[in-house]
Amino acid sequence: AIMKLSEGAIENIRKIDGGSGPARFRAMMSDGRYSMTSFMLCTQLNYMAEDNTLAPHCICLIKRHVTNILKDGRRVVIILEIQVLKPADQVGGKIGEPVPYTEGKNKHFISFTNRGFNRDMGKKPLSNMPSTPGGGSKVVPIASLNPYQSKWTIRARVTNKSTIRTWSNSRGDGKLFSMEIVDESGEIRVTGFNQEVDKFYELIEAGKVYYFSRASLKIANKQYTSVKNDYEMTLNGESSIIPCEDSCDVPMVQCDFVTIGDLEMKEKDSILDVIGVCKSVEEVTRLTTKTNREVSKRNLNLMDMSGKVVTVTLWGEEAEKFDGIGQPVVAIKGAKLSDFGGRSLSASFSSTLMINPDIPEAYKLRGWYDKEGHAMDAQSLTEVKGGGGGGNTNWKSLSDVKTEHLGHGEKADYYTCIATIVYLRKENCLYQACPSQDCNKKVVDQQNGMFRCEKCDKEFPNFKYRLILSANIADYGDNQWVTCFQESAEAILGQNSAYLGQLKESNEAAFDEVFQQANFNTFIFRSRVKLETYNDESRIKATVMEVKPVDHKEYSKRLIMNIRKLAN
Amino acid sequence: MANIIDVPKPRINCSMLSQHINRPVCFVGRVEKVHPTGKTFTVEDGQGKIATVELNEPLEEELSGVVEIIGMVSNKGVIMASVYNMLREDKGNTFDIQLYDEALRVIHDFPQHYPFEGAASG
Repeated sequence: AIMKLSEGAIENIRKIDGGSGPARFRAMMSDGRYSMTSFMLCTQLNYMAEDNTLAPHCICLIKRHVTNILKDGRRVVIILEIQVLKPADQVGGKIGEPVPYTEGKNKHFISFTNRGFNRDMGKKPLSNMPSTPGGGSKVVPIASLNPYQSKWTIRARVTNKSTIRTWSNSRGDGKLFSMEIVDESGEIRVTGFNQEVDKFYELIEAGKVYYFSRASLKIANKQYTSVKNDYEMTLNGESSIIPCEDSCDVPMVQCDFVTIGDLEMKEKDSILDVIGVCKSVEEVTRLTTKTNREVSKRNLNLMDMSGKVVTVTLWGEEAEKFDGIGQPVVAIKGAKLSDFGGRSLSASFSSTLMINPDIPEAYKLRGWYDKEGHAMDAQSLTEVKGGGGGGNTNWKSLSDVKTEHLGHGEKADYYTCIATIVYLRKENCLYQACPSQDCNKKVVDQQNGMFRCEKCDKEFPNFKYRLILSANIADYGDNQWVTCFQESAEAILGQNSAYLGQLKESNEAAFDEVFQQANFNTFIFRSRVKLETYNDESRIKATVMEVKPVDHKEYSKRLIMNIRKLAN
Repeated sequence: MANIIDVPKPRINCSMLSQHINRPVCFVGRVEKVHPTGKTFTVEDGQGKIATVELNEPLEEELSGVVEIIGMVSNKGVIMASVYNMLREDKGNTFDIQLYDEALRVIHDFPQHYPFEGAASG
């Protein structure tokens, strides 16, 4: 029994600034006879109040809403969809003499039902509305959820379920998992900790539909998720998740694909959805993270109809399992955009990877690629990296190092440059070091044939020569003094320190010749810079971490790419 | 005419031959076929296109790999070579002719930044 909705006029609209969350708008509405103050606009519709589409006296039709009954019995109507029938300036004032509505006095209001929502839920009559198993609360759309209500049930499909992650810190350790769920109104991220991991993790299957109720809602941290919802859900001891068998009307994953060609215009670190044909795949590599964890990674190159290619990095299990045979269509929901090497994407633990997904975009891409795309000369947004440093190479020219004040911050900065040796200080470049395996401490000559190491607290009959070389390096724009220790100094001089020590003692001319030969050679230097203070005087100290020969092919490629970038 | 060695010689690829007729050029390509007379051979540029080179004297050595040719472009777009220089095989094998072509296009796409001809003539 669905009654015709009465049109209402907005009497008053007021912005409520919630402490930390997004602003909420509350409206007083009247139908000409009665008025009610407790209409809340769902935050997705805030723009309508902000741009004055919803202004006092405009006549509107509420198309979708949910009604919450507060503990004290008051009703709060959350407006999910509203249409302005007549803007405020055409109405010209208040209609009728409405009086505040009081419960029970008027039957008309009680039958103010949920017309739009019923339509969305399919052909089922109201009596068949999925009533919650084991709970009295009725099924509401995800878009209507907010932290101010507790009795609700949603019916939603799990589109992404994470693996169980664990943490361990000074406050103890624990585990968590998260998932993303969607219904026809929207999507939300759900996280479960410890006991809830044990209780629900096994039960939940990605792709299936469940009833969710009694979980906590809080403001979403948008930094870590692309889920379009101002709130996120945390499972608690009271939460229930019950499988729903009849689920065909609940939508599958919601994606908002960005074309690869448009990635260049997107902000770094944005979380977005992409779909493309996997043109090529690299081998899995393993690397150790800063926290000493070993992780697998694999790069793949995705191409779409924009004719552009982007490199996507997969991590962990997904990297290991990925099979690029047959150039599948790959969709990633919630990939993170990085500006590393131009533009690249990373599929993090909160991303969803779909191979040949059953969606129209995938079929369209497949058809296009097989017909013409495969033959296209695709242009990659990601720089081909290689021998020139690998990893996160922070290429700088020596003048960049100065103008960007590298090393002036809290922490040291690392950069890589291509530069030429213009001067080597041969004075004091060798020192006598402790001969023990891992001790390189300078020893004191006891003048009796013995050498003492303070660190090892021992005397030795011998020592080993080690290098500490000051070099002046230059590129096209500037020069810099750098300090090179053992390995990097040996690489520059092309001789090992033991031989150099021997030359210095026996053949000064040959020793000088080594330094002459080393001048004006060009290398790739990876250096660490930090502002250091001695005796109230601050200066930048640059230490070479690594010296490598120049890979001219890589270098040329990088220069060409940079020139092309400048021209754009 | 001034000796070809002393005048500016823009680096070009096959697609630029027609714009350089009767002008001295420098061309780098991979040797494709050598004519039995030894007086002419063909070279492939970084885009896979073929140009013909004519010599004043027949070749005195076996020609293969990557060569750099300096010469005038004839009305027919043939490079009339004055000098050629074969890259040493160990270098020639690692020479990335596609990459060379990319660099060459940069020079032609931004003549304002690579004013070699202007500077030499002015």
